Amino acid sequence: MSVLDVRNIRKCFGDTTVLDDISFTLEKGETLSIIGASGSGKTTLLRCLNFLETPDSGKIIVNGETLFDADDKNTQRESEKRKKRLHFGLVFQSFNLFPQHNVLKNVTLACELLAKERVDYKQNKRAIQKEIENNARELLDSVGLSEKLGFYPHQLSGGQQQRVAIARALALRPDILCFDEPTSALDPELTGEVLKVIKGLAEKDTTMIIVTHEMQFAREVSDIVMFMDGGVVVEQGHPEFVFAAPSEERTKQFLERYFEG
Amino acid sequence: MDLFLDVTQNLLVGFAATCKLFILTLIFSLPLGLVVSFGSMSRFFPLRWLVRTFVWIIRGTPLMLQLFVVFYGPGIVWGTTIFADREVAAVVAFVINYSCYFSEIYRSGIEGVPKGQNEAGQVLGMTKPQIFYHITLLQVIKRIVPPMTNEIMTLVKDTSLARIIAVVDIIFVAQRYITSSALLWPLFYSGVFYLLFCGLLTIIFRQFERKLRFFSV
Repeated sequence: MSVLDVRNIRKCFGDTTVLDDISFTLEKGETLSIIGASGSGKTTLLRCLNFLETPDSGKIIVNGETLFDADDKNTQRESEKRKKRLHFGLVFQSFNLFPQHNVLKNVTLACELLAKERVDYKQNKRAIQKEIENNARELLDSVGLSEKLGFYPHQLSGGQQQRVAIARALALRPDILCFDEPTSALDPELTGEVLKVIKGLAEKDTTMIIVTHEMQFAREVSDIVMFMDGGVVVEQGHPEFVFAAPSEERTKQFLERYFEG
Repeated sequence: MDLFLDVTQNLLVGFAATCKLFILTLIFSLPLGLVVSFGSMSRFFPLRWLVRTFVWIIRGTPLMLQLFVVFYGPGIVWGTTIFADREVAAVVAFVINYSCYFSEIYRSGIEGVPKGQNEAGQVLGMTKPQIFYHITLLQVIKRIVPPMTNEIMTLVKDTSLARIIAVVDIIFVAQRYITSSALLWPLFYSGVFYLLFCGLLTIIFRQFERKLRFFSV
């Protein structure tokens, strides 16, 4: 069974069709990279998966559970949206760290708030908090930021902020971690450190969807590459095929333009 | 010297009324302003329109007129006064006026928080109240402290308008010396009270700003 099964997602903003009949599946441990020009619908697709946008039609199925079905109102209750989001993690282009919380708190905050809903929270408060904190420390260590726990976001470089954001998303142990152009807001010299962390995650078989403009990176790191244009999936397949021998004319043109420029 | 002490004593009594008006206005208009700002940001069009029109009227007319309307208005319309007490009428007029001004400051503060902050909270599974309390609130406070300081300093001095419906504030007392004893200096002396009070507020708010300097928005 696939971790993620997306079927016939369609999304319009007014008269503009942003996503037109998107379908794909993702297996556990796979990395999917989505490439394509700006405005091709990549980001909207991620936002639909994270319930920040509601598709007009289609289904989203995670681990066999239908999280969203445009034809079934029961799957669209506002009150359940919050829990469903937890299947996905999202790393934003602009990091969106919480400026008033230090690095450690940025990672632990959401976990702490969720833990309060546990029935055994009151009895095991200390132990639960300790566990959350240890988990956060480990994650921050794994992204190379164990020295920065007490720092505030404005004291960090963009690359460091994005690594905190990755740790923050991982802390909730999502089934699928999504990246929305994670390095687009970074200086070239800071891009590498973030890509290295994502690569490390891919090697540890984290299930990921990465929207990116870093073609070389997408080629190295992903199991599947998906090329989107004008709201449709033009081509998807193994990166070597898509990059080395694209079968669609539009993919060829996009990649040519990309590697020339 | 006796005269100076006498004047000081009387001015202090007037200043107590000034402070009372100032503090009561703050206590009621700070939270009420937040309610008004929510109204002006409401997704329900009629409510938003109503609130924004009201804010426009209040911000677009002199506070002095509003004092008259609150104190004399009910008597003219219904033949009976609602606020028999002049001080109560003054507080009501000030609260209405300042709630509207504060609401616009709150609104700019709330709308100034980037959308991404809200979305980051959402994808981390937080509820709306959690997002407001743990993420938005402190960022809003940090943004609004400077404009709030300004507005509150203005309020200190605006309280002197209440004397037009015969609330006995410090200026009112000082003016009495002109008519009764032909003394002008108590009026200038009253300025010292305002100056010291505003100085104190400046120090307090500066401390507050300093406390919020540990992060940047």
